[in-house]
Amino acid sequence: MFLIRVRATFEKCGRAKYISHLDLNRCMLRTFRRSRLPIWYTEGFNPHPYYSFALALSLGFESSCEILDFNLNEDIPFDEIKDKLNSVMPEGMRIIKVAEQKQKITAIAKAEYSFSLVSDAVDSLYADVNKLIASPEILIEKKTKKGIKTVDIKPDMEILTCNKTERSVDISMYLPAGTQTNYNPTLFIEALKKTTDIAFETENIRRTAILCADNTVFE
Amino acid sequence: MLKDKIEKHLLEVQKPSRYIGGEVGSVIKDKSKVDVRFAFCFPDTYDIGMSHLGMKILYSLTNERENYWCERCFAPSEDFEAVMRENDIPLYALESLDPIKDFDFIGFTMQYELSYANVLNMLDLAGIPIFSKDRTQELTQIVIAGGPCVCNPEPLADFFDICVLGEGEEVNLELMDLYYELKKEGATRDEFLRKACQIEGVYVPKFYEFVYKDDGTIDHIETTNGAPEVIRKRIIRDLDKVYYPDNFVVPFTEIVQDRVSVEVLRGCIRGCRFCQAGFIYRPFREKHAETVCRSAKNLCKNTGYDEISLASLSTSDHSEIDPMLTKLLDYTVSEKINLSLPSLRVDNFSESLLEKIKRVRKSGLTFAAEGGTQRLRDVINKNVSEEEIMNTCRIAFEGGYSSVKLYFMMGLPTETDEDIVGIAELANRIIDLYYSIENRPKGRGVQISISCATFVPKPFTPFQFEPQDTREMIEHKQKLLLDSIKTKKIKVSYHNPDVSMLEVILAKGDRRLCKAVYAAWKKGCKFDSWDEYFHFDKWLEAFEECGIDTSFYANRRFEYDEILPWDHLDYLVSKEFLVRENKTARQSKTTPNCRLRCSGCGVNKKVGRECF
Ligand code: SF4
Repeated sequence: MFLIRVRATFEKCGRAKYISHLDLNRCMLRTFRRSRLPIWYTEGFNPHPYYSFALALSLGFESSCEILDFNLNEDIPFDEIKDKLNSVMPEGMRIIKVAEQKQKITAIAKAEYSFSLVSDAVDSLYADVNKLIASPEILIEKKTKKGIKTVDIKPDMEILTCNKTERSVDISMYLPAGTQTNYNPTLFIEALKKTTDIAFETENIRRTAILCADNTVFE
Repeated sequence: MLKDKIEKHLLEVQKPSRYIGGEVGSVIKDKSKVDVRFAFCFPDTYDIGMSHLGMKILYSLTNERENYWCERCFAPSEDFEAVMRENDIPLYALESLDPIKDFDFIGFTMQYELSYANVLNMLDLAGIPIFSKDRTQELTQIVIAGGPCVCNPEPLADFFDICVLGEGEEVNLELMDLYYELKKEGATRDEFLRKACQIEGVYVPKFYEFVYKDDGTIDHIETTNGAPEVIRKRIIRDLDKVYYPDNFVVPFTEIVQDRVSVEVLRGCIRGCRFCQAGFIYRPFREKHAETVCRSAKNLCKNTGYDEISLASLSTSDHSEIDPMLTKLLDYTVSEKINLSLPSLRVDNFSESLLEKIKRVRKSGLTFAAEGGTQRLRDVINKNVSEEEIMNTCRIAFEGGYSSVKLYFMMGLPTETDEDIVGIAELANRIIDLYYSIENRPKGRGVQISISCATFVPKPFTPFQFEPQDTREMIEHKQKLLLDSIKTKKIKVSYHNPDVSMLEVILAKGDRRLCKAVYAAWKKGCKFDSWDEYFHFDKWLEAFEECGIDTSFYANRRFEYDEILPWDHLDYLVSKEFLVRENKTARQSKTTPNCRLRCSGCGVNKKVGRECF
């Protein structure tokens, strides 16, 4: 059977960040239907269009790099696919790129995140953040299927930037992502809350890249 | 900015996408170019309100006007309401995220009595004075209401500036046009209301004063400010020409009716005597099959929904039902769209259509039998015979079904113990039928679920005069039914009779109830239609504190010649007809459906044309 495997990279920003992962599934189904692209349906008793998201994104996170795989029954130029989808996407969601599926989903190893910690006492907060980053281990409690487990996220976490502005401390970091381990920047933020007395609020958590083990962008 | 304030707390609450807008199909305008802003408020949560078809129609229709902007607004769930109150976030509309207190119109659609307290809560959250009399003379914040419940709006009369009776497609725009004109002239609220009440279908409650007799019934109604003595509801004459949207707002979160719904007809030919919708939506009017199919296709294309339902009181009464469904099914099957067909009567289908429907139909088999014996079904004019029920069950069982759901009402006029026992007997005969069928589903037993609601007499029905059974009477009947059931194959469930009692009080109440509604809300009543929020004790306290005798409304027979709280509202069906039907009911006699024979309800005379 004739099948074109397609990988779209899309942005999820603004009001769209409140769409939960479950809702995003339904939303995408309707987007495909509105686009009238010849999307491939699964066969069998209850045929439905086949598509899948490489990584789930937490509710409230923005992203500029979400990955969506799907199949088409017809060979359509990538640009046309992109335009057709973009003309019917909800506010805050936009396809940035449509290309072939180069790597297997299992090649995903990490993701890059950025976020701002807003505070009235930026200097002290900045010092506390640096202290936490420098500490030998960062223990957090993670909910798993088997119950609550204490893990050290320090070995898997890679700080890229940590800057101070007038109102916030801005951080970017790599965290493990993919089919094996998935860490989310809120783990780091919770750890910080335990070690600092400074009040702060988190803003603009954003996934900025999905990467392979060698730090190249997953394609 | 309000948006920042909202976003700051949005992740603390359940299903935040309900509170931030941005859905596909929502209409965003440049407010500097808008002259009249309308907040369409549904007094329940997003999940429920977004399913409401009337809102979708009026939303799109208003927004077709470039300089008018209609936005949506819903009651926040408890968690978000707490956040709003704590952080001074006023109730806002989902498109602009602007507070609705700055809008020209704040419009509520009143779909059920149990949402009344929510209206007060929403006004309060919005920062709008709850009582109409407390609003300024400035021409802004006109609080209006529509929907089936405004056929007796008296228990809410103190809160609304305007009630719109009947279908809103034309009159809403007429009101907005008038407002726009008067606003330019710098008119006051009362000047606007005085002109507005001259528009057909527009009721301004505060221009009417009720004078009561010593026994508590109404002596007469005094009109002031030149308001008309009788207000007639509005209807759309030609449904094929009336505006119907070709786009819906497509929510992110799952809602109750998460699909395209296409209106196929208005009104009902049946005249079941307990059914308010069957009378207040008269006359019966249908859309052509062509119109219906066109709407369905447009909506599917623009929304991306893969499911369609047909909206009407009784779809199978459409005169072109067979060609319409055949055409629709051709489209839906080829586009992999699911067509859901609720409450169809099987008797008027062709064999080939039945085959097609069987293939796409997934929902279970349900029957609104309402009464347990033929005599009682005749009293309520529910024209469904046991033979029909058995026939449909037989077809369904042969087609692989093994469970049936039956709906009944308890406390119907003239009901006796025999009628209650009749419910169990009917269920038993369905069980016997199942086991008599050779090709019944293999290896499965039959399951009958019986669901009983308490009868609520409603205004503008032939039963509007009837009392509701008291709690003791209902409890006796419930016990009797349980005692008559001897098999585990039958399951019975009851609706809470307290809920039905509140419903009847609010449905048949007069203006003296307003203060009790206010008191109940003050005590924390809201979301009364949700079990976990329903506090009947608080309502009873509120009634008592306000000196209201609930049995006067719930358990008293209203006399034929008594002035009823809704007698000044004209829903086209004459009171003489309702009296006649009430008497016919008491003789256990049925009235044929409107297509078979006109029984002279008066609608045709007022509309100026025959219904069929
Ligand atoms: S006028 Fe006659 S046909 Fe028309 S709704 Fe009334 S009873 Fe039915």
